[in-house]
Amino acid sequence: MAITPSDRTEANRLDRDIVQRCRRGEPGAFEELYGRHGSRLYTVAYRMTGSAADAEDLVQDIFLQVYRRLDSYRGEAALGTWLHRLAVNACLDFVRSKQGRRQRVTDAVEDLDALEAPATGPWRAGAALERLDLERAIAQLPPSYRRVFLLHDVEGLEHHEIGEALGIAEGTSKSLLFKARTRLRSLLRGREFEGAAQPARAAVVAIEAGRHGER
Amino acid sequence: MTRHASADRSCGRFAERIHEGVDGALDAGAQAELDAHLASCAACRALAADLEAMRRAAAELPGFTPRPEVWASLSRRLADEFAARSRPFWTGARVALAMAATLLVAVASSVWVLRSPAPASPPQASAAPPAAAVIQTGENLVQDVDEHLRIADEHYVKAIAGLEQVVKSGEGTLDPALAATLQKNLGVIDQAITESREAIKAQPNNQLAQTSLFEAFRQKVALLEDTVALINVMRKGDQAGAAKILGGLSKS
Repeated sequence: MAITPSDRTEANRLDRDIVQRCRRGEPGAFEELYGRHGSRLYTVAYRMTGSAADAEDLVQDIFLQVYRRLDSYRGEAALGTWLHRLAVNACLDFVRSKQGRRQRVTDAVEDLDALEAPATGPWRAGAALERLDLERAIAQLPPSYRRVFLLHDVEGLEHHEIGEALGIAEGTSKSLLFKARTRLRSLLRGREFEGAAQPARAAVVAIEAGRHGER
Repeated sequence: MTRHASADRSCGRFAERIHEGVDGALDAGAQAELDAHLASCAACRALAADLEAMRRAAAELPGFTPRPEVWASLSRRLADEFAARSRPFWTGARVALAMAATLLVAVASSVWVLRSPAPASPPQASAAPPAAAVIQTGENLVQDVDEHLRIADEHYVKAIAGLEQVVKSGEGTLDPALAATLQKNLGVIDQAITESREAIKAQPNNQLAQTSLFEAFRQKVALLEDTVALINVMRKGDQAGAAKILGGLSKS
């Protein structure tokens, strides 16, 4: 019987192989694991914390956890899913522990300076939204809105999963998501950029200036 | 995004539904009702279009790549973790060493049983001191984990060699099919030993590899011990004893 494995199957097979090699302590195997999944987990951490420095610390903590727990990974879920869950939980713990001690919104906006567009972004001509506008608007959401929006619309979690992760009712997750989107829409339409969010403006201007400077 | 007329009052009850529609979470009836409203309401159409564009853009947001310094720092922390894990392994290595020493005694006993036509007195009493001596010597000589590991490894290898010799000398007593199965199982364990050794060679502090090496040793010794016991009872013609050991073997 001819089997044509899909990319996902192939990726899963590669992941299983890497896990095996990590367990055997093969040199370089864990680095390979980091190479395959590091960017995705870093991206989750970056958006959830709104800070490149926090994300760098967090992604290291996450991979240390991965290293310690790799033996408990039984392969029921794909490795990517397992890692993603672990990362989301670590990020939520982090954000919860920092809340109240720091003003998240300000941090996030200030850290927009650290946002660097990849050389070949997936942004397509004709798309209705500029990626940077959306990143900027997300960073301006109140933390409770931002968390749910990121988990649902960016990370693709279901409301019941978000409810579980955040310790809130499924209905609350939905309601926060709808409020987040409504707020984003206002932000993107430019209604709330004036006055309320000068730092964001400044950050974007700085980013744009940087871009122009590069060329 | 298009400009839109301000929403009329009936739109309020559709606001949530528009979000749910964007998420594909509406049943056919609710979706049809929403579509009908959208057809007649420019404001809600604009909202739906904006939400859809946002949803798509959010799902397609690109990833970020951490700076190379992040891996550099992480790999340092991982190395620290290796070191921290190796410390408790001192204890593990000692246990392995003690077990290996005890095994030598067990091997001696087995050989003794095989060679003595009528075992009148139990050999354990006289064999105990060498075990203690081995551990004592080990403790005095061994200065670091590597040395501990090396010595434990050596003891296991010696113990295994002794057991293998005993098994070889008595193999004729065993059923050929059983002997073949034993050989096959030993082969699997040997493979695990080889792989663990290679991993340790590459990363001497790798605790997973260390654990798996000694686990393989333990398995091999257990299998050989059972085999020796089986040969012993077969020689004595003790069918009941043989059945009991075989039962244990099939479980392992």
